[in-house]
Amino acid sequence: MEQVVSDLTLRKTVEVGAPPERAFRLFTEGMDTWWPKETHSVGEVRAETVVFEPGVGGRIVEQTLDGEEHVWGTVTAWEPPRRLVMTWHPGRGPETAQEVEVRFEPSGAGTRVELVHTGWERLGDRAAAVYDNYDGGWSYVVGGRFAAAATA
Amino acid sequence: MAYATAITALADPTRRAVFEELRSGPRAVGEIAARLPVSRPAVSQHLRVLKDAGLVRDRAQGTRRLYSLNGDGLAELRDYVNGFWDEALAAYERAARSDTEGDDDGAGRE
Repeated sequence: MEQVVSDLTLRKTVEVGAPPERAFRLFTEGMDTWWPKETHSVGEVRAETVVFEPGVGGRIVEQTLDGEEHVWGTVTAWEPPRRLVMTWHPGRGPETAQEVEVRFEPSGAGTRVELVHTGWERLGDRAAAVYDNYDGGWSYVVGGRFAAAATA
Repeated sequence: MAYATAITALADPTRRAVFEELRSGPRAVGEIAARLPVSRPAVSQHLRVLKDAGLVRDRAQGTRRLYSLNGDGLAELRDYVNGFWDEALAAYERAARSDTEGDDDGAGRE
């Protein structure tokens, strides 16, 4: 039931005026300048900086005013200026990591940035078997409400 | 990051197996335990964690208690993450706009 599996994927797109090279750099090395740290972080108002270490194996790290470090994820694919993939586990252990892929496609003078967040239940190899017997209720929740919300 | 509770609850493989058993419909603890290599007390404990995370609900039916998926909890989780990225990307878009207008290195100017 690939359709249902893909319904668990969250997809976001944003158009920016900057060309891909610049959009990619702003998203990664410039993350601290735009990331809404006060609300989107582990330490919230205590969050001071977000460091995005470029390259495969680089970490996305939040540093708090108290000197604590919270690793949000690790870069697993680094293809500037077109694509990057990172694991994603802010506020929890890496064993619960999801995956976030970000693509940067030229669009006119700017860039179309697409973010895809997957790995909701970390079902792994069991996904197919599980989804083969999902019921209508599950389909409603994920396929209906979620799909509607994700495309809104 | 509030949604972490639900995701963390689902990160445990055994707990996830319990959760998955409910996808085909409401089940009692004994029915779930019979289908998994897990004891009844352990199943009960996993169900409690899932319930606390808003992913599962229960109701009494005669002398037994039936557990089922909490669609509202799942939808909330997804709505939350959906809004999370909406806000983050809106901030990114604003930064990209001022970055282009500010034009500190000459690239990207119209």
